[in-house]
Amino acid sequence: MSLIKKAIDWGTRKSPWIIHFNAGSCNGCDIEIVDALTPRFDLERLGILQRGTPRHADILVCTGAVSLQTKDRLKQIYDQMPEPKFVIATGTCACSGGVFDGCYCVLGGIDRVIPVDVYIPGCAVRPEAIISAVVKLLGALEAQQKGGGKDAERRSDYSTVGREIQSFEG
Amino acid sequence: MQNEEAIIQQLVEKFSLLKDKLHVPRAKRIVSDFLTREEFEQVLPYVREEMGFYRASHVLGTDEGEDLGFIYLLTNDEGIIFALKEKAPKSNPKISSLSGEYPSLEFHERELVSLFGAEVEGLPKGPPYPLPDGWPEGNYPMRKEWNQEYFDPHTMTYNPPAETQKKEAEKSD
Amino acid sequence: MTEYNRVVIPIGPQHPSLKEPACFTVTLEGEKIVDAVIGIGYNHRGIEKACESRYYTQIIYLLERVCGICSHTHTTAFCQGVEELAGVEIPRRAAFIRVLVAEIERLHSHLLWLGVAAHEIGFDTMFMYTWRDREAVLDILAELGGNRVNYSINTIGGVRRDIDDSLKQDILKMVDALEEQVKYYRELARSETTLAARLAGVGKLSREDALKYGAVGPVIRASGVDFDIRKVDPYAVYGEIPFKVVTDTHADVFGRTVVRVLEMLESIEIIRYCLENMPDGEITAKAPRRIPAGEVISRTEAPRGEDIHYIRSNGTEIPDRVRVRAPSEANWHAMKQMLLGQYLADVPITIAAIDPCFSCTDRAIAVNSGRETELMDWPRLRQYSVDWYKKRGIDVSSVKMPERRSYF
Ligand code: SF4
Repeated sequence: MSLIKKAIDWGTRKSPWIIHFNAGSCNGCDIEIVDALTPRFDLERLGILQRGTPRHADILVCTGAVSLQTKDRLKQIYDQMPEPKFVIATGTCACSGGVFDGCYCVLGGIDRVIPVDVYIPGCAVRPEAIISAVVKLLGALEAQQKGGGKDAERRSDYSTVGREIQSFEG
Repeated sequence: MQNEEAIIQQLVEKFSLLKDKLHVPRAKRIVSDFLTREEFEQVLPYVREEMGFYRASHVLGTDEGEDLGFIYLLTNDEGIIFALKEKAPKSNPKISSLSGEYPSLEFHERELVSLFGAEVEGLPKGPPYPLPDGWPEGNYPMRKEWNQEYFDPHTMTYNPPAETQKKEAEKSD
Repeated sequence: MTEYNRVVIPIGPQHPSLKEPACFTVTLEGEKIVDAVIGIGYNHRGIEKACESRYYTQIIYLLERVCGICSHTHTTAFCQGVEELAGVEIPRRAAFIRVLVAEIERLHSHLLWLGVAAHEIGFDTMFMYTWRDREAVLDILAELGGNRVNYSINTIGGVRRDIDDSLKQDILKMVDALEEQVKYYRELARSETTLAARLAGVGKLSREDALKYGAVGPVIRASGVDFDIRKVDPYAVYGEIPFKVVTDTHADVFGRTVVRVLEMLESIEIIRYCLENMPDGEITAKAPRRIPAGEVISRTEAPRGEDIHYIRSNGTEIPDRVRVRAPSEANWHAMKQMLLGQYLADVPITIAAIDPCFSCTDRAIAVNSGRETELMDWPRLRQYSVDWYKKRGIDVSSVKMPERRSYF
């Protein structure tokens, strides 16, 4: 492993930066994400920083059942993020459509558009759950970096909701 | 202070066409029956200028079978909501825009255009609202005959089963 | 000035709000905004169509998720509308609990707003303070409904959770501690000159314009109109609760801040009154499954303003039409008026001041200056605004927040 790769791995593991994207949620989960970043829960103590632009971020924290209008934007943001990148689907409606399942203007889940690493069910999710998801992801990341496993394995191993990851184009 | 009954009385005296068409379901509410476009346009300026309903909270569309209904929620200083209703046939769903008198209706009128397929005459140009870009034309999701089960959000196409398509074709023949 | 000197800036589209993240296109002459076009609809999910194929009780949970921040208000408006159609009268205790939860929700929503607004002007200490205080409110809501957001208190015919003695004591303790904090924020708003200098005169909306463009809630009250559904058209037990409608005549962002802070103090009083005067008894009345045909217009005062629900029943278990006019929808129209004549640096706080449920910090802005296209995002616009004011000697982040007693 080259030194630079080692440095990047270490950096991703120790201080992942997140970007938050609202893909048609009810805002319930969004405020809980901000909550997780404020004094009571304080995600920053894990080295996590919220960033404004996708190009600086390692983890995409996504809420909402993906309304049609945000579909392309979600893809764009995901594409703009540098590798290695990870996606956390926050909230039941981001996992499966939840309460909005069957509405004509939603796709029903983040994983219909981009691959998801961790699913956090809950409507709304509690900040504790968000912290737990991030910790899980970091743990998985470390295991993967050490074991040199493939991306696909990591994804199916650490999905908290049993659900097949579909294939995605572009 | 005007109360609901007094408002109705004054309106009916002025416009005989409104006789028996205004109701007070409860305090602070006045609801009219559906009026045609001509009737509506006759009544509205008076309601706005003389009766003090100079604020508009909302206009919402409804599906009335053969017609489209438009319900304007107007408010006066006392907080009475006057639901003034207008109706236009689906075959020719034309109404005039009120966004000049009531600027607060602009987005709601755009919504009527996108969701119900109404033709709002005089609505200033602007971005459509609220349907996504690339929405198939001629699909008005809030009309009753539009069944969301036939809509595929992934491809944004509307595929009614063959039977209903045939029926519709027969109807229009 | 000629057209040549004008710069068009699209802000958005991921600009979150209740149902509708918005895309603003502002046109600048120098640093002044001369035109603004608002494009909304990014968060359209098709809730209203979905309502036409669900049972009344299912719809409560769907409408609760129109907005996760004022979830209780939406269900209150819907339930009281359906109850009116069905001719059901809810028990008095249930009505008191509805009011109580609505006011607790107002506290949480206004604290949230105060934090976000502080963040937008670069006053992050205050942001952290208010969000910490907000946790106390959320704890109560979690204990009451079992969830921190979307607590599902309402049902058709009453409420689903009762308040027992220990919870009552907890709530009283919470509001006592919170009152002290809010009074401190009030002092801050009144006496801190930097804050006043940063907020006064920004986002002006005259009384006439507020009425004409149909603004609601704290926005219109800050323009000097005492329009509050709780007084104008009292629902639940608001008719018998003594409280003041807070108004202000500043008609700018400063006024909106003052109104919200003072409203929190009123809410605390209402909560105390409710706990004291709540009668014993049932919390639900029996409601029929089939709702008699008819139509109803129901409205409530959400933390952000007047919330209107239109419900039409055709005599079955499924409604014929449900329409929700959320308060932010009404405030967008006035937004343009507030932006005109402002500086670009004031855009973040002006938009934040109508409280469009800010939550997402990711918004891309492309600056189109002549031939070049520059890409700018919301944090950079925010940073630009903070720096712009710093250069002019207004730096709110230097305001000292004293050590406060913590009650966690
Ligand atoms: S999971 Fe529930 S609370 Fe979270 S965004 Fe979706 S609907 Fe809102």
